[in-house]
Amino acid sequence: MWRDAALVAGKDLRIEGRSRVGLSQVAPFGIVALVLFAFALGPDRQLMAKGAPGLFWVAVLFCTVLAVQRSVSVESSDGARDGLRLSGIDPAGLYLGKTAAVAAQLVVLELLLAVGVILLYGARIEVPWMIVVSCLLGTVGLAATGTLYGALSAGIRVRETLLPFLLLPIAAPVLLAGTRIWQAAMAGGTPATGMQWLRLLVVFDAVYVAIGVVLFGPIQETA
Amino acid sequence: MRYVTAGYTVVLVVLALYAVQLVWRRRRLARAVDRAMARSTGPLAGPPAGPATGGAP
Amino acid sequence: MTDDSTTATATATAAGAADDPSTAIAGTIGSGLVAHPPTAVAPNTGVTVSPVQSPRSRMIERAIGALALVGTVATVWLGIWVTPPDKTQGDLVRLVYIHPGVAWVALYLAFGLAAVSSLLYLWPRTRSLFWDRLAAASVEVGVVFNVCTLVSGSIWGKPTWGVWWAWDARLTSTAVLLVLFLGYLALRRVPAEPEVRARRSAFVALFAAVDIPIIHFSVNWWNTLHQGATVLNANLSPQIHGSMAWTLLLGFVALTLVFVWMLLVRYRIGVLEDWLGANELDLALAERHSEGSGRLDGPVADRPGAA
Repeated sequence: MWRDAALVAGKDLRIEGRSRVGLSQVAPFGIVALVLFAFALGPDRQLMAKGAPGLFWVAVLFCTVLAVQRSVSVESSDGARDGLRLSGIDPAGLYLGKTAAVAAQLVVLELLLAVGVILLYGARIEVPWMIVVSCLLGTVGLAATGTLYGALSAGIRVRETLLPFLLLPIAAPVLLAGTRIWQAAMAGGTPATGMQWLRLLVVFDAVYVAIGVVLFGPIQETA
Repeated sequence: MRYVTAGYTVVLVVLALYAVQLVWRRRRLARAVDRAMARSTGPLAGPPAGPATGGAP
Repeated sequence: MTDDSTTATATATAAGAADDPSTAIAGTIGSGLVAHPPTAVAPNTGVTVSPVQSPRSRMIERAIGALALVGTVATVWLGIWVTPPDKTQGDLVRLVYIHPGVAWVALYLAFGLAAVSSLLYLWPRTRSLFWDRLAAASVEVGVVFNVCTLVSGSIWGKPTWGVWWAWDARLTSTAVLLVLFLGYLALRRVPAEPEVRARRSAFVALFAAVDIPIIHFSVNWWNTLHQGATVLNANLSPQIHGSMAWTLLLGFVALTLVFVWMLLVRYRIGVLEDWLGANELDLALAERHSEGSGRLDGPVADRPGAA
């Protein structure tokens, strides 16, 4: 299973590396989102600094939707999806591989967005390791649920509009937890609170990765 | 008290409207099914009966 | 009463029709002019069940509907005129006879049924499209009750807490459930084979079932950890006794019956839609044949008595 996962993850990342869609389209979209948020919140720097955690995670959520869409559409041409199923790759491995690929792309995006948030909103971070861990855990959760729903909607033509609608309510706990952790890790926050939310993220990740590993096979058969 | 009236009215109206919609939808579909079944056995009952049966809801 | 007569004639024609499997289009074209009414039947998964409702099931449905109506009217009458106002909440307490009722139906009955049905559909040993149709019916009716819950809760909240909406765990979870339900319904509208659609929907329902407790828990935490947040007690817990208690119970029962009746009708609609959908092509072909008596020349309007 792990070998298959590595295989699939490598394939997806190589495709991304060659096409650079993530870098050239999703990342700029993230930056645009940050800029728009700034316009929406007005020139009050204090307000922006306070809202920085939430805005960061909302931007990450939007980027997740795009990254997942891309991850799914990579296989929709030339019957690649059927090819994958016929190749005998373990579905659980396929799931883990795709999730890992999406997660990797998201981590890079988050790095970019985090820098953007610090620069543009004047956010001040006091407990950096908490920020990093929250991003990693949150990313796993987003990638896990995203890949799951991506597979569910893989064969659908209206996937562009349907996927966000389906995915975002499920991903909401990551937004909640991520925001709270960031708030705890910034100037004026209580780190102890952050720890509890980190634990919630761990549970969330464990639950959905487990679901994905077990159910990805049956889900694939519906596409 | 007007809040109470508003609350009751909204709930009852929404439920009633939905109920009416359900009944109407079911009636329309049942008629379509009846038409379909009659039509498919219609031509065999003989030419005069065919179109007549097919036309009856 | 016209409904009953059409049901009777349909029963007569269906007696011979419902058992005939003719799946291939080629077979249908040939048999369109022969005594084979088109019924596409797939094996054991029950893709199309008979579209005709048995008279007994119709009677039960009518009985439940009648009880539901009577119960609801009684609840309204008791709730608004007969029961006394509360000491603290005054007349506002009258909303307790319907709000918790619709909430229980939407959040537990409808959602629970949808989740269990979806699970039963996915489980190989109990797989049958019956569960899928039941789940879909449950979700759709659940959406209606969910909206009633949110609106009645909001209307109750405004004079009580001063706000139309609060981000406490209960209200937020209800709102998220509504969105998840709507997602389920949107997914079902995507054209697909019945089994594919059923599987997709079942998975979505299951994921929603996993998500709701997580959301509820998270939002609860979110509120309690935030210093200074007013945790609004959606319970309100007025003192319920005597006639109030009976009316409350009646309200629950009546609204549950309303749900059951709606579920039955909506399920029946699902059966009819699926049958029509499965036989669409066959029906269109049969219609074509019956129009021109096998000849495809001349517009229909020219021939007198044409269907």
